Amino acid sequence: MFVFTLVVVAQWMMPRIGLELPDEARLVLDSDLARGGGHQWGRWIVALLSLASIVSGTIGLGYRLMHLGFSQERISAQKGLLSRLGAGSAIARNKPSNAQGETENDVDSELVGDPHTVDDYPQLPSVPRAPALDESPGERLRYRLASVSSGHSSVFGAAWLALMWNSVCVVLLAVAISGWWYNRPRPVLAMLLVPFSGVAVWSLKSFLRQVRGIAGVGSTVVEISDHPLEPGGTYRLFVMQMGRMRLRSLRVELVCEEESFFRQGTDVRSDQHVALSKELLAESPVRVDPQAHWEQQLEFELPANVMHSFSATNNSVRWRLVVSGEARPWPSFCRSFPLVVHPPLMVPPNSPR
Amino acid sequence: MNVSLCRDDATYAAGGFLKASWRVSRVKLEELSSVEVSVLWYTEGKGDEDLSVHYFRRYDTAQLRHLGIESHQPIECRLPPSPLSYRGHLLKIQWGIRVRVFVEEGREVVAEHPFYLIARKPEPVVFAETLMAELAQVPIPAKQPLHRRLPAVIQRWRGRAGRVS
Repeated sequence: MFVFTLVVVAQWMMPRIGLELPDEARLVLDSDLARGGGHQWGRWIVALLSLASIVSGTIGLGYRLMHLGFSQERISAQKGLLSRLGAGSAIARNKPSNAQGETENDVDSELVGDPHTVDDYPQLPSVPRAPALDESPGERLRYRLASVSSGHSSVFGAAWLALMWNSVCVVLLAVAISGWWYNRPRPVLAMLLVPFSGVAVWSLKSFLRQVRGIAGVGSTVVEISDHPLEPGGTYRLFVMQMGRMRLRSLRVELVCEEESFFRQGTDVRSDQHVALSKELLAESPVRVDPQAHWEQQLEFELPANVMHSFSATNNSVRWRLVVSGEARPWPSFCRSFPLVVHPPLMVPPNSPR
Repeated sequence: MNVSLCRDDATYAAGGFLKASWRVSRVKLEELSSVEVSVLWYTEGKGDEDLSVHYFRRYDTAQLRHLGIESHQPIECRLPPSPLSYRGHLLKIQWGIRVRVFVEEGREVVAEHPFYLIARKPEPVVFAETLMAELAQVPIPAKQPLHRRLPAVIQRWRGRAGRVS
């Protein structure tokens, strides 16, 4: 509000009024902030940014004042109603008369979940949607599962650390050598260079190990006969490992994991717990050649009394297939392929074919 | 406050209908400001709470006067297919009916009745009309009367008695 007022007064009001101001006030009005850095569009940008801050603050305050004294359930019901209205407006574009009439009635009576309204539940609430598997049919089986890339971002961190540390070490080494060359030795710097060089070598090794881990291990292909999964169902699985390597062991596991997010002070922390881990395949040793990929087809049954996939803001239950290999001299790898498990008898029929 | 469910085992199938009732007693109608009834699920455990309301109804003073709080008020809704009740290591998904009574002077009282939402049972197999017609044509063996079966039964008993002796 202050910045917006300052810009308005300095740029539009003062030239029109022509008032004589004391030096202190003139100093404030001629500041970079009030002139927008002296740029042609600067004052407009500053005015717009401050106006946007005022609008967002007013909306936030209004929202909180409107919900003052509301129960947790009422706020949640209103949120659900708004999301339904959003979905309803999408349906209303196709059916203009019926859907809009129903939603207006709902708002008037503050009734959510009317049993008389027909709801076929095309989506399962709190169950994550299956990724677009319809667009990725498999070659051997119906669907090809997408892998979750892990560790690809950490290689950039390792690269940055190795580059910076080694650059500093090279500069310090040059300074130390030049000191010896011109008969002005720097023994303290030379001693410090020993641990510095150790860290430099470690960071370079770490970077190379991560690069080798990404580039050296070939891609993993996992295909499944049906998706989403249903508890008690039997599914066929096809796993293929590409590349050139010798693995001490290769394992395929079906994992169900609980994940919770919680606040501790101002930090948000998370905790994971493996609720179910079922080994589907374990083979050792495994040899992978570029000409002869390692591949295996197997069948597994999802246990009947297991929890379906669940996703909320702070808690989730996630299913995934984990393919892990222990290799030498290449580093071990672990790739996970997310799955969606629906509640029993709720699997919608879909097929990519 | 009293919340009662239509099923004694408090177990409902996903996608099925829930019928329940609520009642507020020992409070004067004039003291009540409003009553909120909701069917909801929430999480318990290590993580922060997630909550979602499936059915919600709010009664203000005028509506409560019209309804009369002494009698049982019905709650009827169709339950969603998910999330099912769950008791895990880090989280627990709990379904329940919550009645929140707002009394004058800003005080509020909450009563909750938990229930379980379980997977829907498989529906009975519905045969196609052609299959039903074929089944109707299959001759069902008629049960023989006892006096015709009696000689065979006696012969079987004698055989058993001979083996025992």
